[in-house]
Amino acid sequence: MTVEDQIRKNKRDTAFVCIFMLILLFAVIFVFGFALGFPPIFSMAIGLPLSVIYVLASYSFSVQSVLSAAKARPADPRRREEKLFMYKVEEMAIAAGLPVPKAYVQDSSDINAFATGKKPEDAVICVTTGALQKLNAEELEGVMGHEMSHILDRDILLATVTVGVVGAIALISEILLRSLLWGGGRGRGRNEGGGWLIIIAIAFAIFAPLFSRLAYLFISRRREYLADANGAYLTRNPEGLARALEKIKADLPDDPKGSPTVAPLYIANPFKRSLRNSVWSTHPPIDERIRRLRAM
Amino acid sequence: MIGIIILAVILVLLVISFVAYYYNKIIRLENRIDNSWAQIDVQLKRRADLIPNLVESVKGYMEHEKGVLENVTKARSALMNAGTPRDNIKANNQLTSALKTLFAVAENYPTLKANENFLQLQDELTHTEDKISYARQHYNDSVLAFNNAIETFPGRTFARRMGKKEKQMLEIPEEARETPKVSF
Repeated sequence: MTVEDQIRKNKRDTAFVCIFMLILLFAVIFVFGFALGFPPIFSMAIGLPLSVIYVLASYSFSVQSVLSAAKARPADPRRREEKLFMYKVEEMAIAAGLPVPKAYVQDSSDINAFATGKKPEDAVICVTTGALQKLNAEELEGVMGHEMSHILDRDILLATVTVGVVGAIALISEILLRSLLWGGGRGRGRNEGGGWLIIIAIAFAIFAPLFSRLAYLFISRRREYLADANGAYLTRNPEGLARALEKIKADLPDDPKGSPTVAPLYIANPFKRSLRNSVWSTHPPIDERIRRLRAM
Repeated sequence: MIGIIILAVILVLLVISFVAYYYNKIIRLENRIDNSWAQIDVQLKRRADLIPNLVESVKGYMEHEKGVLENVTKARSALMNAGTPRDNIKANNQLTSALKTLFAVAENYPTLKANENFLQLQDELTHTEDKISYARQHYNDSVLAFNNAIETFPGRTFARRMGKKEKQMLEIPEEARETPKVSF
């Protein structure tokens, strides 16, 4: 499979997941309205534009909201470390044949990095100050290659949009569940035989957030391996990224910073060392990633 | 009757989109090669522009290393006068090794190594050098994608009609291919 085929496949996946998320969001709003006793047409009239607007809004404001959640600032070329980081971003952009992303820095002693943006033209790569201090040039290059291939493969759009939609589905389901359990008398009183509908609504409220999250995580984990491989192809040096991942693994964050919302975007989950594989991990286990890189 | 017409229209549309897809793909990949050559060219010029500043800032310190500086200047003018891509790459390789010698010699001059201006130029030249090698790598990646597209079926049939021939990759010098060794 060439890089072009891969990009096309990823774009298709992204569109598929966006539509899936849209339908799920719509369904949650619909069931919510239904359980509260609104007529289906009314829920549909509210739910459809609301979910479309929400997905469009997470699309338009995604970059700014991710950057402010991470408390990132533009890299300062007057500091040598940050200037060298900007240089690396530019070099990797040339290797990938992409426009140069904006370079951002997050003040944190952890070693981490993420890429965000809607398309390669407005992409941002952000690293922590810890990464700039603790990684050498070769390792930083490996990390930049990984982030650049997230941009090249159009993973950033999917990640940024779903981070928003998954959050919304969780929030709406939570409200639905609470109102069904404590304030749901209205629906029951109105319709004597509709008990099973309430059960479906409750089940839906429980499972919708799980489904949306699992669907996203499944794809996100696969994309991490892909970004590792493509990143190593860009730098022609898998060892650099492998060593960077080793340092990340050894550098256990004792005081994790940043927002959990942004966690799936990072090169490695900042909240725990992903040593074991689990359906709930945003990233594959680090040891397995290092093993695959060394086997290239 | 109407069924046959609809079927024929669908078939024609399919054929047209098939042809358009491969035509556009080949053109797009060829443009990418030109574009990545332009990128190499930009970086080579940038590098040549930085050299006089470097020579200026080093001259005062390296009284006894005239030969080293001369080699750098000579390689630079060869790069400025290079006409063909092949000459360009050759002159650039010469410049790379001349600069490498210069930076190695600079290690013996502590005052020079502490000079802010020199350090900045050294950073920037290393950066430009890296950019050149990545631009070359991207050029070769682009050539590979183009060659693959026009040598495999069905792109092959279109490429013949369009008169496209496979392109040559740039040879990357041995020392540029090595990744720097790091010790911990």
